[in-house]
Amino acid sequence: MILNPTKTASIRQAFGDTLTQLAKSNRHLYVVSMDLKSSLHLTNFAKKYPRRFIECGIAEANAAAIAAGLAKSGKTVFLCSFACFSPAINWAVIRQSICYNHLDVKIVGSHAGLTTGELGATHQMLEDVALMTTLPNMEVFAPVDAIETQKITTTLSRSRRPAYLRLVRPATSLLFDPKNTFTIGKSHLLKSGRDITVIGYGPILEQAFMAQSQLSLQKPNISLEIINCSSIKPFDFTIISRSLKKTGRLICLEDHQQNGGLGHLVAAALLHHRLSPKFIHLAVNNQFGRSAKNYSQLYDYYGLGVKNLITAAKKLL
Amino acid sequence: MLTPNLPYSHLSRNLRLQLLDMIYESGSGHIGGCLSSLDILISLYFSDLFNFNRDHFILSAGHLACALYTVLSAKNYFPSRLLSTYTDFNSLLQGHVSTDVPGVEYSSGSLGQGLSFAAGLALGDKSHTTVCLTTDGEHQEGQIWESLMFAQKYQLSNLINIVDCNGTQIDGRIEEIMPLNNLAAKYVQFGWTVTTVNGHNLHQIAKALKSALNHSHSGYPSCVIAKTVLGRGVSFMEHQFKYHDIKNLDPSLYLQAKNDLESY
Repeated sequence: MILNPTKTASIRQAFGDTLTQLAKSNRHLYVVSMDLKSSLHLTNFAKKYPRRFIECGIAEANAAAIAAGLAKSGKTVFLCSFACFSPAINWAVIRQSICYNHLDVKIVGSHAGLTTGELGATHQMLEDVALMTTLPNMEVFAPVDAIETQKITTTLSRSRRPAYLRLVRPATSLLFDPKNTFTIGKSHLLKSGRDITVIGYGPILEQAFMAQSQLSLQKPNISLEIINCSSIKPFDFTIISRSLKKTGRLICLEDHQQNGGLGHLVAAALLHHRLSPKFIHLAVNNQFGRSAKNYSQLYDYYGLGVKNLITAAKKLL
Repeated sequence: MLTPNLPYSHLSRNLRLQLLDMIYESGSGHIGGCLSSLDILISLYFSDLFNFNRDHFILSAGHLACALYTVLSAKNYFPSRLLSTYTDFNSLLQGHVSTDVPGVEYSSGSLGQGLSFAAGLALGDKSHTTVCLTTDGEHQEGQIWESLMFAQKYQLSNLINIVDCNGTQIDGRIEEIMPLNNLAAKYVQFGWTVTTVNGHNLHQIAKALKSALNHSHSGYPSCVIAKTVLGRGVSFMEHQFKYHDIKNLDPSLYLQAKNDLESY
C-alpha cells in the first residue's frame, strides 16, 4: 500500500541526515567528498565531524583510492558524489583499489537517472547499475524513497563490504512501510495484486501506483503486484518467481539503460529457472538523456511513463 | 642503518638471481623494472628504519611483483620454494602483486592508484609511516598529481613516496613517450620535500629514508627520487626498454644473464 501518497521527502536529505546521525555513535565512520557536500546534504556532517570529513576536491580517481586507503586503516568510508562522476569517472579505481582489495567503502552516487531533470544528458547517469553490478565483491542498492534510504544507509554502515548506493535528486513520494526492515538480498512487496508483476527500483516505482489508479478506472478487475527490488545485487529472485506463479506476467521498469539493467539480470534468472512469463522491459533504449524541467516529461519521452506502463500492461493481458 | 657493505651486496645479487629464475621458469615477468627497483626494496625491508608489522608498504607498480616476492621471501614472510610457482594456476604468487601473498598490503597492477591509496592509509593511521613505491612512467597518470595535492593539503608527513626512475616504459624512453622533465621540481611545486639518490646505492637510499622519517612531523610529505637502471646487472638488458617485460627468454640469453648476475 502507499503509506503517504501525497507526502514527499528528499532521498539525499535522508542520506545526509542518517549518515550524520550514525557518525555520532560510530567514530570510524568517514566521508570522502568530491566537492559536492551540500548536494549530498553532508554540510552538517562536515561541520560536526571535520576530522572525519575528507575533502578531495574535483578529483574522483584519487578520492576512490583515498577512501580505500582509509578503509585499509579500519575506517568505514562513504565516498560521496554524483553517479555521473563516481562511479563513472573512477570505475577502474573502484575495481582495483576497493573491490579487488575487499575494502569497506560505500560508493554513493546521487543524481542518478532521468530524475536529474534540468541538468541534462551528462548528469543523468543511466549506466551505473550496469557498471557496478558487474564488479566482483560489489553489492548494489537503490532505495525507493527517503524512508528506505535511511534504512539502507544504516545497514551499509555495518556491512564491512564494498557497496554502491544509488540516489536521486528530487524529493519523491514515500512508498516504503516504515515498519519494514531492510535486509541485504531481500526485495519488498509494495502492493499485492493478481494479474501483472511490476518490478523495479528507486522512486520510478511510484509510476506503477499511478498506472494502477488509471487502470482501475478502465479495467476495474485488473490489479498490479508491485515489488521494490532495492537490493539489486545480491538479488532476490524468490519473491519474483513466487509472484509470477500467480500472475504469469512481468514488467520491469527502470530509470536506467536497458543494457545491463535489472531487466537483463531478471531475464537471465528467468531462463536459468526455466520460467517464461510474458515479459516487457521498460527502460532507456540505448539513448542519452536530455534536459527537462519536469522529469515526468522525460519518463514519457523515453517510454517509462504511466501511459507506457498502461500500454505494456494491456499488451500483456 | 644499512651500509653498502656485506651482506647486503650479496643479497642484492642473490635476489637478482632468484627473480631471474622465477621469470625464466614462469615464462613471463617484468624483469627490467624488477632489477631496477630491487635495491630500493632491500633498503626498505633490510634496514632497521621500518617495522612493516606496523608501518605500511604499498607497491603501486604491481608489475614489480617478482622483486617484492623475492624480498618478502628473504624476510621469511613465506617459504622460498613458493617463488618457483610464480604465475602458476593455484599459486599465491599472482603475476601482479596481490594481498593473497603474506606481507602484501595492497593488490595492484593498474598504475597510478597506489599513491592515493597510500595517502588514504597514511591519513587513517597517523601513528605509523606509509611508504609507497611508484615508477617514473606511472607519473604520466593524472591520478598521481591528484594524490600529490591531497598529501600536501592533509600534511601527510608520515607518507614517503619512492619513485623508481629508470627512464623507460613499455614502449620506449619516457622522454620520447611523454616527458616528465624535472620531476623533483614538480614535487617541490606540489609542496613535498624531495631527495634524489642513486637507486642502487643502498646507503644513499637508506639515508634519504632516514631523513624523511626525521621530519615526520614537519607537515610535508616526502619524495625520494631513486635514479635507477632498467635491467640493472644484466649487460644486455640495461637501459633497453624491450626488457620492460619478457616472454619466454631464450635459454642462451638466460645463461648469459645468470652469468652476468653471478658476478654482480
